[in-house]
Amino acid sequence: MELGLDVRTVGSHSVVDVKGEIDVYTAPKLREKLIELVSQGSYDVVVNLEGVDFLDSTGLGVLVGALKRVKAHDGSLSLVCTQDKILKIFKITGLTKVFPIHGSVEEAIGGTD
Amino acid sequence: MAMVELSIPPRSAYVGVVRLAVSSLARKAGLDEEVVDDLKIAVSEACTNAVEDTPGDDPISIRWMEEDDRVTIEIADRRPSSNAEDPLDTQGFSTRLTMSLALLESLVDSFELTAREGGGYCTRLVVNR
Repeated sequence: MELGLDVRTVGSHSVVDVKGEIDVYTAPKLREKLIELVSQGSYDVVVNLEGVDFLDSTGLGVLVGALKRVKAHDGSLSLVCTQDKILKIFKITGLTKVFPIHGSVEEAIGGTD
Repeated sequence: MAMVELSIPPRSAYVGVVRLAVSSLARKAGLDEEVVDDLKIAVSEACTNAVEDTPGDDPISIRWMEEDDRVTIEIADRRPSSNAEDPLDTQGFSTRLTMSLALLESLVDSFELTAREGGGYCTRLVVNR
């Protein structure tokens, strides 16, 4: 089971395109990548979940941890997600109130300025 | 009643294996794709909670039981405690376990966590057909 992580810079934002399954086995890889970004000074981060097939509480925990890190630097963390099965996880856990969730990377970047 | 049993070492790498097995069994049982997705998450949560709190090598057993009107999945472990912690962290965010329990409660028709005789816990998930 592989987790694909590609980071690109769009304007002042770092965009992380995630592919695959985020679970207890793969989540540490995402956590490390997000910690690395913040430690390099990227405080406005967009995590693109459009290529994610599976997400559970471990992945949510990593995203909440990253949100706390960027907030400590007055930054932002927004998500891109249009898949019903993934959005459902955010709704059940009340995280739709915590994360700005957008329909596209362009929208996410425009919305956090 | 059709029954399938699987036993895994208490390591994170095997949680995905259980998900694959359960999604395959659920499709074979004719469950809707949305129910298959919900079940995959619920089983992943139950296995993750068991793996995270099992300090040694005691295996985790997963039992799939299929009846005419329902599917029951039992995840049995030997973890010393079910990690009763504060639902929120110091900054007011839900902890992973709080989110996990919220998912378990809403994604299946019935979710029970009971202490096992001899130690450990059994997570019981039921989906009505």
